[in-house]
Amino acid sequence: MAIVTGWVAFVVTVATIACIYGLLTIGLNLQFGFTGLLNFGHVAFFAAGAYTAAIVSMPPPGTVPGARYMIGLAVPMPAGLLLTLAAATLMGGVLAALIGVSAIRLESHYLAIATFALAGIFYDVLVNERWLTNGTFGMTQVPKPLRATLGADAWALAYLLFAAATLAVVYLLVGRLLEAPFGRVLRGVRESTAAAEMLGKDTDRIKLVAFSLGGAIAGLAGGVYAHYIGSVVTGQFVAGVTFTVWAALLLGGVASHRGAVVGAFILVAFQQSTRFITTAYDAAVAAFPDTLGVVLTALAAPLPGHPAFLPSVRFMIIGLLFILVIRFRPAGVLGDPQEVTVMGSEE
Amino acid sequence: MVDLSGLAQALTFGLIEASVIALGAVGLTLSYGVTRFINFAYGEFLAWGAFTVVFLVAIAPALPLPLAVAVAVVAVGFMGVAVSGAFFEPIADRGGLPLLITSIGVAFVLRYLLVAIASTDARSLPVPLQRPVEWMGVGLTPVQAVVIGVAALAMLAIHGVLQYTTLGTVMRATSGNRELATVAGIDTEAVVRRTWVISAGAAALAGVLYTVLYAPVRPTFGFGYLIIIFAATLLGGIGRPYGAMLGAVLIGVTISVGSAYLSPAYDQAYAFIVLVVVLLVRPEGIRRGTF
Repeated sequence: MAIVTGWVAFVVTVATIACIYGLLTIGLNLQFGFTGLLNFGHVAFFAAGAYTAAIVSMPPPGTVPGARYMIGLAVPMPAGLLLTLAAATLMGGVLAALIGVSAIRLESHYLAIATFALAGIFYDVLVNERWLTNGTFGMTQVPKPLRATLGADAWALAYLLFAAATLAVVYLLVGRLLEAPFGRVLRGVRESTAAAEMLGKDTDRIKLVAFSLGGAIAGLAGGVYAHYIGSVVTGQFVAGVTFTVWAALLLGGVASHRGAVVGAFILVAFQQSTRFITTAYDAAVAAFPDTLGVVLTALAAPLPGHPAFLPSVRFMIIGLLFILVIRFRPAGVLGDPQEVTVMGSEE
Repeated sequence: MVDLSGLAQALTFGLIEASVIALGAVGLTLSYGVTRFINFAYGEFLAWGAFTVVFLVAIAPALPLPLAVAVAVVAVGFMGVAVSGAFFEPIADRGGLPLLITSIGVAFVLRYLLVAIASTDARSLPVPLQRPVEWMGVGLTPVQAVVIGVAALAMLAIHGVLQYTTLGTVMRATSGNRELATVAGIDTEAVVRRTWVISAGAAALAGVLYTVLYAPVRPTFGFGYLIIIFAATLLGGIGRPYGAMLGAVLIGVTISVGSAYLSPAYDQAYAFIVLVVVLLVRPEGIRRGTF
């Protein structure tokens, strides 16, 4: 049953990853867009969730050749999926709460540095504490629930539906929260911590709650990701992830709940589709060997041939996206310019 | 007494690393003084400095290394001006946050432009491998001694510019209050440009020294080292060059002693623990003095 081949398989993959990034962006938007907290360590919460899901569901180390990790709880799938995702969410939230307790009082720009550095240290922990994480080799046997029963194609579709449902539930829950009085308090803290305090709000506690909720959502994203990819490796959790999520949020529109998800979908689609530039180039050169092929070959000749070239161009475009959105359209695609005061001049 | 010489060795390694950190931290803090935003792109100037020298040496092997370093420092200094003029100055009136986020985009562009040119391969500079010279149980290679000497001279030069030149006076005035300095007839835009030359040039030199000490390095090393430079800068009080020098020594020694006595796997973490303690002891944030 090979209905899910070629372009369809590609679209399914992109959509699933976009759902996961949508969760990440919703979490970051809760922290930065609505509460004004500069979190530059988002990837740490994502990683905490992914590793928690892996540790809860991986087979015990004795049964995996070359294993250096010591804990694998092997909860049975698919019923255990809810348990691993709950644990992932909890761990993302707990890590955010721990970081928040020490750092949340910092002035916004120092919070940016503190979260950025803490994520770097968390990465060092993942690399070095092999007993827990299997080091750089990674946890490569995270179960994909129902994969054996459904077969590869049907499973890919089923998991997309599951990821989309998770995104929808989180989207609706967070949307309700933002409409509720609590959402107004968050915006109040963002606009003026001093004014919120004048009104008797415990701003440190409110910031901590928002920060932890954002971390928990990122942790959930990590759990969904771990069971989708089937392996959790340190190289997946570098600082670039944090800034990809930031780019998605800026693009979609800071403080726009809908924009966060739209931004994630646009960005992931862009990132994944650039993988096909070389394929398209080869096809074009092969299809038109005379005119277009000669022109293309001549154009591409001075470019460096090393394998890091195209990925680095992709990251340069993401960097330009930061610069251009901030400069020309701080509200992003869907943001409300009235709400995006966090991007304007500060007090 | 074995322990004592081990400690002395760890302190020496700390001072060697501190000379790299100090150059980076002073450069970062100087540009913060006149621009008032936290620049996440600063680490890329270290990488561009190091790789400009790598490129120069590859193109012209006959070029003496010190001359290649000087060319790279000047080139990256002007690159700093160009980057500021293209990306930072146009939104300078929008406050610190848009500038900070823009600096992340700039970091990505600079970093991956370098990767696109140079690939991710690790490179070295043509510096001879040397045996350490032992002195009272502390080993130091001549190259390491040169690194400390170059950093110390650069610090002295920056001190001289700040205290004894007109540029230093207007830099301090601009750092203290840019609007007031403008009203007083200082061409603050020119001051910002000149500060960027010094700031990015110092970063380039720091990147070269880093490569001399820890080669081979990849073009992405600057972003990772940024945390350590931030730690020294904030420890000294951001915007305060002399504080940054002191902060660099403390961070360098902390990293070195931590690596020697606890675990070398967490060198960045030691720098950051110091940073967190400083931030927590002064929850209002580190005071922003002038100089």
